[in-house]
Amino acid sequence: MTTTAPAPPRQTRMDWARKNLFRSWWSGLITVILVPLIVYLAYLSLRFFFVTGQWDAVRVNLTLFMQGTFPRDEQWRLISQIMIFALAFGIGLGTNSAASQDRAEDAGLDYERGSIAGTLARMWSLVAFISLLLFFASTDDLGNFINPFLVVGGGLVMAAIGYQAHRFPRRIRRVGWLLTATFLVLGFQVVSGFDAGGWLPLSIIFGGAVYGAVPVDRFDSAWLRFALRLVAIAVVVLIVQAVYRAVDSPGIGWDKWSGLHLTLMVSAIAIVLAFPLGLLLALARRSTLPALRMMATVYIEVIRGVPLITLLFMGQFILGFLLPQGTVLSAITRAIAVMTLFSAAYIAEIVRGGLQALDKGQNEAGQALGMAPPPIMRRIILPQALTAVIPAMVGQFISLFKDSSLLSIIAILEFLGVRKIIHAQPDFRSVAFAETLVFVAIGYWAFAFAMSRESQRLERRLRVTR
Amino acid sequence: MKIIKLLAAMTALMLILAACTSDDDGATATDDDGAADTTEAVDLVQGGGERLAAVIAADVVVCGVNDGLPGFGVVGADGTYSGFDVDFCRVVAAGVLGDADKVEYKPLTADVRFTALQSGDIDVLIRNTTWTATRDGQEGATFLFTVFYDGQGMMVPASTGFTTLEDLADANICVLSGTTTELNLTAVFGARGIPFTGVVFEDNSLLQPAYEAGQCEAWTSDASQLAAFKSSIEGAGGEDQFIMAEIISKEPLGPVVSDGDTEWAQAVEWSVMATVQAWEFGLDSGNIGSYSGDNPNILNFIGTDNFDPGLGLPSDFAVQIVTQVGNYKEIFDAHIPAIGLSLEGSPNNIWTDGGLMYVPPYR
Repeated sequence: MTTTAPAPPRQTRMDWARKNLFRSWWSGLITVILVPLIVYLAYLSLRFFFVTGQWDAVRVNLTLFMQGTFPRDEQWRLISQIMIFALAFGIGLGTNSAASQDRAEDAGLDYERGSIAGTLARMWSLVAFISLLLFFASTDDLGNFINPFLVVGGGLVMAAIGYQAHRFPRRIRRVGWLLTATFLVLGFQVVSGFDAGGWLPLSIIFGGAVYGAVPVDRFDSAWLRFALRLVAIAVVVLIVQAVYRAVDSPGIGWDKWSGLHLTLMVSAIAIVLAFPLGLLLALARRSTLPALRMMATVYIEVIRGVPLITLLFMGQFILGFLLPQGTVLSAITRAIAVMTLFSAAYIAEIVRGGLQALDKGQNEAGQALGMAPPPIMRRIILPQALTAVIPAMVGQFISLFKDSSLLSIIAILEFLGVRKIIHAQPDFRSVAFAETLVFVAIGYWAFAFAMSRESQRLERRLRVTR
Repeated sequence: MKIIKLLAAMTALMLILAACTSDDDGATATDDDGAADTTEAVDLVQGGGERLAAVIAADVVVCGVNDGLPGFGVVGADGTYSGFDVDFCRVVAAGVLGDADKVEYKPLTADVRFTALQSGDIDVLIRNTTWTATRDGQEGATFLFTVFYDGQGMMVPASTGFTTLEDLADANICVLSGTTTELNLTAVFGARGIPFTGVVFEDNSLLQPAYEAGQCEAWTSDASQLAAFKSSIEGAGGEDQFIMAEIISKEPLGPVVSDGDTEWAQAVEWSVMATVQAWEFGLDSGNIGSYSGDNPNILNFIGTDNFDPGLGLPSDFAVQIVTQVGNYKEIFDAHIPAIGLSLEGSPNNIWTDGGLMYVPPYR
């Protein structure tokens, strides 16, 4: 007979309340004051949401919030973009899960593969925001170009299809990443157009893949290997270019994008560009070459000393006159450049903090193993330094995302700016200021919160596997 | 390891997107005639006036507008622009290109509008822009025919009982930044020695809630805007508002083009003036197509006798403008009464009825 542990004393609700709410007289006092206040505030918010709020301003202008003044008869491009991005998301998720599984197997660890459902649960704020959109859309007449429920459902289906990439055999894991990148580019270009100039990004993806994949190991001469790789890349690039020349269909350039679509695109591009730039700046600032170090320091300190809004105005007012005559840079291109340069300075400082926190011994250990400086940096220093600064880094990304709302001051119609034009419409001129503001706030929060959650997960996972 | 993969992925993405960026720029440069011609136009304009040809080649008029000004420039739920100023963009497109829909709207804030004009981003600026000497002289802008005579007014909640500017001593006054309104306020109150505190906002969707919440005792803006907000505040069940009788400034609003291209300026100006000329002739969108009289001036105007004054406009430009958009009165009636202003007794009436709308003869 086995002995069972004595059952813990049953805790009644009264016990719980006594322990947590009324532990002492002042704790009781705080409870007595706070609880009614919280209940009252909750009542006020719920009443605002469901009773007094006039959500018509949001409901009627839902499409305006989402895509702004993007031409309505080109809406299929946006819907295709959602589908393709969902596919890329699914492929990336599946490939990433499978790759983690590979590594876990190698290390002899248990690993539970991530799933789409799990990812959605983690990003519940986004799910909530999309549900809110669907709720507003459902109370509207559904005679729109395309039923929003179909779009969301279609997106889920595409993600599920893409997720099947985890079934790829291990030796072609790289194909999963390649497909993800390819679909990200295609998703972008389905809006911006497959014109003859669009061959470059896909060429880079396939060129990079080909560079690693060409079977050149049997040749001894390093020069011959390099030459063969170059030839292979050239062939790929020529093929891609030929396809683009053949398709050559112009789309809607990003100077005509607006609304939430623009906010997300601008933020994503600026984040993705600012990270490597910031990394390079951080390394440059710690470099032993004085000229490099000084340039990086001056750049970082100048940018950090000037408000973003000032830089945005300079981007609009001055950049255009500095560039050679005839260079036409749209206001949005200039704004993205400014936001990237701005964030890079902050990211550089964050990364530098991570680098300085590392013990000198790490570098010396690498040297003792006979490693050259670049591999030491790449394989020892950066992985530890970057892991340490993930929270600060994501904080910077979130702040960049929210800073994109400043673009409305330089006449770029982003998510928050849509509010302004809605309140000039005859129907909503003097009503629902609070409602539109709350809606926009929820939208920003949903994305920022999802980013924050994702960074927490990344932090946990990297800490575990380190 | 993971972080390296992450880095690699990040770098790859960076490359992709960097490429997208350059791709996009490439698209602008190589994009079919449209963008390329505009690029060329920027060069040529500085050389000596080819904007008209460039606009015709691009087959679109790029028009800088306001996207949040009741009655003048508004974006509907379907993403389309409408309003008094927007209609004059359509007038220019109908006059120059024969199709009022060939307009590309560029929403601009008060702060960036002249830069957009100078850098050649827009062909014409029709964004409730007041014609002042400084702007004419320093902003590289040429102001054309005034399409709306406005003036700055002052609105207060009726309950305050304020009726004159002197009542506003030590008051907080709401005003938009970057506008002549802000300057006038300081100038007029300074001249009369009335102390006040300006409360400055970026746009009306921020200013209005602040005003209604009592953050300022008065709201100063162009009288047309005050009328619009008065009617909508009262319509939404807010407090009764009072607009003071005193107008503290002259605000002539009209289209603006870049300095140094007379040909383009003439094309825009005569297109705009055609709406007033049609009104004077009694022609509107309903009857201009079927004019059967023999008034030689009207025959010149509607171009049936192929009269060509050499403005670079098609001979039927006036017919296109009036049938597709309307004459001045039709444009006015479509947008301005809705914000609470009438044509009767205003300077915007035609000169034969005591207003200021007077255009040179078309002959």
